[in-house]
Amino acid sequence: MRLLKYQIFIFINFFCISSFINAQNVDDIIAKHIKAHGGTEAWENIQSMKVSGKFTAFSIEEDFVAIKTNKGEYYSELYLGKNPVKEAFNGKTGWTIDPWMEILYPRDLKKTEINVFYQKAELFTPFYKYKERGFEVQLLDNEEVDGMEMIVLKLKRNNGMEEKWYLDPDTYLEYKCESNWVDFTYGVPAETFFDDFRTINKVVLPYYIERTFWQRNRVLQIENIEFNVDIDETIFEMPRSEQMQWLSFMEGNWDVKVDVMTRRGTWYTFDSTSSKIYWDATNMLCEKISYDLTMVQNLIINYTYNATADKFVMTRFNGLASEMQLFDGEYTDSSYIFQNINVDYGDTSLAKTYSQINIYNIDKDSFDVEISVSQDKGETWLPRQRLYYIRKQR
Amino acid sequence: MTAQTILMKFTMKTKINYWLLLFTIVFQSFIGLAQENKSNGWTQFRGAERAGVSTESLSHIDFSKSQPELVWKKTIGSGFSEITVTEGIVYTMISEIVDSITGYEYLAAFSEETGEEIWRTKVDSIYFDEDGWGDGARATPCIDEKYIFTLSGHGKLTANLKKDGSFVWQHDFKKEFGSTTPRWGFASSPLIVNGNVIMEVGGTEERAFMAFNKVNGDIVWSSSVGPSSHDSPLLANIEGQEQIVFANGRTLYSLLPEGDTLWTYSMPFGGATAIPVFIPPNKLFLSAVRNPGFFIVKVENNKATELLKGVSMKNDFSSCIYHDGYIYGFHVAAVRCISAETGEVKWTKRGYGKGSLILVDDKLIILSDKGKLVVADASPDAYKENCSIQAIDGKSWTAPSFYNGKVYVRNLTEMASYKLID
Repeated sequence: MRLLKYQIFIFINFFCISSFINAQNVDDIIAKHIKAHGGTEAWENIQSMKVSGKFTAFSIEEDFVAIKTNKGEYYSELYLGKNPVKEAFNGKTGWTIDPWMEILYPRDLKKTEINVFYQKAELFTPFYKYKERGFEVQLLDNEEVDGMEMIVLKLKRNNGMEEKWYLDPDTYLEYKCESNWVDFTYGVPAETFFDDFRTINKVVLPYYIERTFWQRNRVLQIENIEFNVDIDETIFEMPRSEQMQWLSFMEGNWDVKVDVMTRRGTWYTFDSTSSKIYWDATNMLCEKISYDLTMVQNLIINYTYNATADKFVMTRFNGLASEMQLFDGEYTDSSYIFQNINVDYGDTSLAKTYSQINIYNIDKDSFDVEISVSQDKGETWLPRQRLYYIRKQR
Repeated sequence: MTAQTILMKFTMKTKINYWLLLFTIVFQSFIGLAQENKSNGWTQFRGAERAGVSTESLSHIDFSKSQPELVWKKTIGSGFSEITVTEGIVYTMISEIVDSITGYEYLAAFSEETGEEIWRTKVDSIYFDEDGWGDGARATPCIDEKYIFTLSGHGKLTANLKKDGSFVWQHDFKKEFGSTTPRWGFASSPLIVNGNVIMEVGGTEERAFMAFNKVNGDIVWSSSVGPSSHDSPLLANIEGQEQIVFANGRTLYSLLPEGDTLWTYSMPFGGATAIPVFIPPNKLFLSAVRNPGFFIVKVENNKATELLKGVSMKNDFSSCIYHDGYIYGFHVAAVRCISAETGEVKWTKRGYGKGSLILVDDKLIILSDKGKLVVADASPDAYKENCSIQAIDGKSWTAPSFYNGKVYVRNLTEMASYKLID
C-alpha cells in the first residue's frame, strides 16, 4: 500500500513537472518567436497593415493588396489567374466576390472559408497573445523539414481548428505551417512556407509566402508594407449588388398619396398614408405600406435582383386575402417595370388577370408607382392605382 | 627463334593489329552512325527516348563563369507543344486567333539558327480552353525521317511532309473513332514504332490505343477499352522485348508493337498526366498529383508487381526524369529529388512554381512556371544551382528541349533558343 502511494506520488509529480517543463518550453519558445518578429512592444504599436505585392495563382502573377487590422479584420483585392477577386472579413463573418465560383456578386463566406480568414487576418503570428485569445499550444517532438530539424508547435484555435507550426530553431521564425485551407470552398489540407524575412518599422515579417494545397500553388511576394493606415471600415461590409444599389433611392420613410382610376377615366385621391422602405438583407429592400381602397390593403413588398435570370424580382404580400404575388422586372426608359405575365402557377382554371407595377418619375426625394392590370396577357394595360411617394422630412 | 621468324611474327601481329584496328574503326563508325541517327535531335515529346534526357556532354562548360546566351527569341501563337529540333530546323505547334470563336492550329518550322519562320501549315481549328489555361495544341509533334505527326487540341492526328509541311493524311479521332475530348483538350503526343504512329485515341469499340501506317495513315491495329486522357505512350525495352506503355484511366497497359496486350496493371490512382518513366532494366515509375503520389513497378516475365509507392513525389502535369538511382521532378510545385529505391526525399527546392525539367548530361535544366531558366546539378547530395536567367516571360508550362548545345523554351506567347556556352 505504501509502495502504491509512493508510485502515485511519483507519477503525479512527474506529470506536473512534465507539464510545467512543457509549458515553460512552449512559453519560452513563443517568447523567442515573438521577439524574432520584433517583440511585443513593437507590435503593440501596430493597429493595421496594408500589404501590397505580387500574387501568383495558376502560374500567373498579378497585383495583390491586403489590409489587416489588430481587430482581426481583413480585406483583399487580388487575382486568381486572370479573374479579379475581392474578399473581406470583419473578424467573425465575411464576403467574397469570386468569379471562379461563377458568382459575380458578393456572397457570404462559408464556415470552411471563415477558418481560412482567421488565418489570413493574423497580423503576423497566431502565437501573439494566444492565451488571451483562447488558443492552446502544445510542443511536439522536433521534426525534420527539408533536411532541417525544426521546433514543432501544435496550435488549437478557439474555434477548434488545429495548425502545426514549424519554427527554425536558430531564428525562431516560422518555416512552415500545416493548416486547413479551402479549394473552391471545400476544405483541404495546406502547407505554407515562409521565407525572405525582412525588418521593417522594427518588426520582422516574411516577404515570401508560398502555399500548396491539393495541386494548387499560390505565391505571395510582398513588395511593400505600410503600418497604421487609415481604413474605411465600410470595406469589410458586404457590398450590395450593382443592380440593388440602383434601387437604393427607395430606402427611407415616405408620405404616400394614393389615387385610383374612376369609372369615368379620371384619377381620384382615395387615401394618404405612409410607407417605410428599408434594407432587410444586403440585397433585399422591404416595404411595408397600408392604405384604403374598397378594403384595407396591408402590403409587404420585397425587392431583390436575380443575377442568374438577370431580372429584378418583387414579391407582394397582401394581408387582405393572404395572397402572395411574384413579379419579375427590368429597368427600361428610366422606369422599373414589374409584371407577372411570365409567372405561371400551372393552374389553368385561374382567371388570368395580370398586374404591372411601374416605378417612374424617380428623383432624390420622390417617385411614383402606377399599378395597371391586363386581361389580354399584356397586350393592353389599364391603369388602376397611382401612388405618389414624397420623402418625409426629418 | 630466328630473326626471320621474329620478323614474320611481328609482321603477322602488325597485320592482325592493322585489321583489328580497321575493323574497330569501321564498327565504331557504324555504332556512331547508329547513335547519331538515334539522337539526331529532340525529335519528339521528352526527347529521343521520351525520358526528358539528352546525353550531350556539358562537362566542358564552367557554369560558375557562364550564363545561357540568348540565340533568338520570338513571339508565337498560343500552344503547349514542346519544341522539337532536327537537322537545323525547329518544329512546334502554334496557333492564330481570328476572333473569340475562330482560330487555327498550325505546325510550324523555324530556322534553328535564327528562329525565322520557314513554313507553317494549318492542321485544325484552334482548341479554345474554356477554363482559360491557354488555347491551342497540347501535344508535341513527332518527327520521322520524312514526316511529322501532330495531334491537335480537338483530336485530329495529321501527317505532314517534313520538308515543306505538305498535307499527307489526317484522322479525326472524334468523328472516326468516337473519342471524347478530354477536359482541357487532346494532349497525348504521337509515338513512332516500327513504321507505325502509335496513339492513345480513347475511341469506342476497343479503340483506346491505335496504330496507323505512317505513310498512308491506314489503321494497322486497335486495342483496349479506355478514355482519351492527357498521358502519352512510352516505348521501353524490358527483358529484351520492345513494349508500348500506356497509363490510361486507372490501368497501366503494356502492348507489343503489333498491338497485342502483354500485361496490365491496376494503378493506385487514375488521371496521370506525367508520362511513365522507364528505370532500366525493368522498372517503371508513375506519378500523379493524387494520392499516393507515385509508385514503381517491376516487370518480370510480362508481369508487373509493385515495388514501391509513396507520397514524396506528386507530379501534376510535369514529368520526372530518372538519373543514377534517383528521380528528379516537380512535387506539385517544388523541385525534388527522391530515391528510386526507397522514395526518400533527398532535397526539395521551392520557388519555381509548377515548372518543368529535363536532364542534360548530369545537369538539370529547369524552367520555372514563370519562364526562369535554371541549370542545377542532378545530384542527390543537395540542390546546387549553377546559373539562371529569365528566359521568357509569362506562364510557362511547356518543358524545355535540348539539342546541339542549345536549350529551347516556349510558353503561350513566345519561344526562345539559349546556348549553353563556356
